[in-house]
Amino acid sequence: MSPMRPKAFPLGWLARSEAGLGLAVVAVVLLTLLFDQQRTYYYSPELSALDVLRHTSMLGIFALGAAIVIISGGIDLSAGSVIAFSGTICATLMVFLAPEAMQKAEPLGAGVTILAVGGTLVVGFLIGSLHAWLITVIGLPPFIATLATLVGLRSLARAVIENVTLHTFGARTTQIQIFDQQFRSLTTSVWLRAALFLTLAVAAWVLLSRTVVGRHLYALGGNEEATRLSGIRTDRLKWLAYALSAMLSSIAGIFYIGEQSVADPQTLARGYELNAIAAAVVGGCSLRGGIGTIPGTVLGCLFLRVVIDGIAKIIKTGADVYEGLIVGIVVVMAVALNQLRETSGRRKRFFEGPLGAVTVINLALLLGVLTTLVASPTSGQVAVLVGLACLALVKLFEAARARRAGS
Amino acid sequence: MDVSPLISIRRVTKRFPGVVALSDVSLDIPAGELHAIVGENGAGKSTLMKLLAGVIGSFEGELLLRGRPVRFADTRAAEAAGIGIIHQELNLVDELSAAANVFLGREKRTRLGLLDNRVMERSAAELLDQLECRVVPSERVKTLRVGDQQLVEIAKALSRETEILIMDEPTSALTESEVARLFRVIERLRARGVTILYISHKMDEVFRLADRITVLRDGRLVTTVPRADTDPRRITHLMVGREIESVQVAEHRVPGQPVLEVERLSLPWPGHARAWRLRDISFSLRRGEILGVAGLMGAGRTELLECLFGSSAEAYSGSIRLEGRQVRFRHPAEARRAGIALVTEDRKRLGLFDQMTVCQNITLCTLRQAAAGWLVSPARERRMAAETVGQLNVKTTGVDVPITSLSGGNQQKSIIGRWLRTRPKVLLLDDPTRGIDVGAKAEIYRLMDRLCRDGLAMIVTSSELPELLTVCDRILVICEGRLTGEFNRAEATEQRIMEAATLRSAG
Repeated sequence: MSPMRPKAFPLGWLARSEAGLGLAVVAVVLLTLLFDQQRTYYYSPELSALDVLRHTSMLGIFALGAAIVIISGGIDLSAGSVIAFSGTICATLMVFLAPEAMQKAEPLGAGVTILAVGGTLVVGFLIGSLHAWLITVIGLPPFIATLATLVGLRSLARAVIENVTLHTFGARTTQIQIFDQQFRSLTTSVWLRAALFLTLAVAAWVLLSRTVVGRHLYALGGNEEATRLSGIRTDRLKWLAYALSAMLSSIAGIFYIGEQSVADPQTLARGYELNAIAAAVVGGCSLRGGIGTIPGTVLGCLFLRVVIDGIAKIIKTGADVYEGLIVGIVVVMAVALNQLRETSGRRKRFFEGPLGAVTVINLALLLGVLTTLVASPTSGQVAVLVGLACLALVKLFEAARARRAGS
Repeated sequence: MDVSPLISIRRVTKRFPGVVALSDVSLDIPAGELHAIVGENGAGKSTLMKLLAGVIGSFEGELLLRGRPVRFADTRAAEAAGIGIIHQELNLVDELSAAANVFLGREKRTRLGLLDNRVMERSAAELLDQLECRVVPSERVKTLRVGDQQLVEIAKALSRETEILIMDEPTSALTESEVARLFRVIERLRARGVTILYISHKMDEVFRLADRITVLRDGRLVTTVPRADTDPRRITHLMVGREIESVQVAEHRVPGQPVLEVERLSLPWPGHARAWRLRDISFSLRRGEILGVAGLMGAGRTELLECLFGSSAEAYSGSIRLEGRQVRFRHPAEARRAGIALVTEDRKRLGLFDQMTVCQNITLCTLRQAAAGWLVSPARERRMAAETVGQLNVKTTGVDVPITSLSGGNQQKSIIGRWLRTRPKVLLLDDPTRGIDVGAKAEIYRLMDRLCRDGLAMIVTSSELPELLTVCDRILVICEGRLTGEFNRAEATEQRIMEAATLRSAG
């Protein structure tokens, strides 16, 4: 009816968003160079790059799956547990196929490894198919279906391991050691996983952007009912999306047990599903479906890892301590920036009313806590006060501006 | 005039990125007037109303209410000032009861602070009674018919002591009897002194109701005239800026062989008193024929098309033969492959992919034709889309622009084009001109005529009888799921069709 605000043309928007992400990656690297007192990036650029590449490739492999599912209008919360379960299954298959070698830490041979890896991929496909069945036939919302496997599969994996170790080795343990040198060196190689990630990313990119099925996945995410009424079998598309997602997680699972030389479902890949979703969302995928790209997702992964790595270098704490916090903040900022760009027509009031007042306190406290952790309690207290003062001023300024506009 | 007008719009301009939706519009509306605002799609009618109702907060120019300048930050502020709006797409919470919707945001409470459903339902019943709306206030809105839902919206506005009521195309989804009821309600509101701004592009309604008429075109105010000083022809002329010739199609068409034969088609309705959405429907459709399906809202028009397209939720009984072969589609994919196409009723919800381009919307069903092996050739895809754009005369600046940048009529043409690319034998059109302006409607009629002369068989439903009378060779009438009339072009009149459509419990 009324002339709609012209939505930016999808490719144009993506170009902007991806170029922006690329610049952001460069900016973060430069900032790290500047503020890292040991100048790690400067003195050992190769090692640092390999380290980032190692993590990005791993995150990237299962983030591709998250992106495909999100673009098709769904959500897959199960990635972390599917990784853990797949790792467990891979190790279990090795135990079944070569119990003695596994116990005595002898080489397994290529045949056993290939069979175990192949079997694990089949299991990944089965998990994805279970999701698709729960969603399309039973009619569960994707959130519930994959939440159920998120909690279910990890505990199943642990039960499987305890059972297998008791019956094969005679002692109940919660993990299986992996000794095979060949398997370990292959899965630890940065180049192999980077090459695999690149191959999978290109394949996923071609699938989504250049094939009929890919276009149908975008259509499904954008308007499911219209897609069905266009004579497209939406149930099969969902099956494909969830199967791909689970199988990509399985691949990651195989790599993780090789890298850690142990399959331990209790700790493996805990919370990784959120990292994958975060990478996809930072890369421009919309949780409403139908929007997003693979190049964006790849850059999203790279951005997340560079930020995590950079902050670990700057504050010199174990990277994993702040990883969750960083992912959380990055996701909020990325999505908020997009949101603000869409509503840029209106002047936004960030701290309006009572919720605004509480938010002022909230943000000042957060700033204080962070400053305390990074610097000292004294500077933390100063930060709280300064933060409070600044934000309160912003609030007052907004209120004044609104009054002027209203009169 | 020494009394200041109730609403005064002074030199209002509203820009959206890339579009000037309203340009320097000034308009005074005295209290108690029914003021019609007409214009083609994209003329700025809805934007102007959204400004008044606080949906759009920022604009250039001035808005005066009872002589005082106002600027509504949001709809609540506008409501507080006594302005209510009934949107074309209704704003009700489906899962709540009619009463709960009427009092949404201003719920009545008992002394303990709990919801007082009894009082709310009683006052809602009173309000709905005044509107001739016979629904039970405790019933969920979801189960109501569209006409009744609209009255619930009006009741909601009335319960707020609304002095100014904006109605945006209120009759677009109503059947004739519901329209008649709405008009009675409008007369009653006027008697109570409510000022009404009535947006429409239907001339008969405007000339029946309005005191004065304002014509908008391309965001500019063309003129404001008292109804008595003008006539529909002149207003239409002002709206489109050109003369609209009355469309004469469907003459001298000769239908060919039957393509579709339907026998004793029944569709169950589990858990409903009527038990059947469709009961014992038989008809046939020939090549080069346009068959109209008339009926009130809820009569089963859409359900009939869904059965033919394999998209109905329940399984039907009876037989459908396509070119002599028995068919039973379980998924639209099978229907599409067999040569049946459906252009759905609700374009935004069921037809359009609004995050996609014109090209992607057109090629969606036939993308495989643009693929060599696995890969889609973007060049070939674009050529396909450009071909359709040319054939159907879709007005667009290119095939790579977002589909949402097109007007409703051109979006609809793109969707029809999407289906024509599948080379269907039977094209089903479910209310194809809903929410489309006059000029685009005529173009769609001519397109249908052309396709029909090329031998395509079509079934079209419509909520507007004149439309069916214009384009159809034959009209079936459905009432409560049963076939209650069949008229060929020579016999069909509005009177006869309405009689058949309101024939209760025939047989």
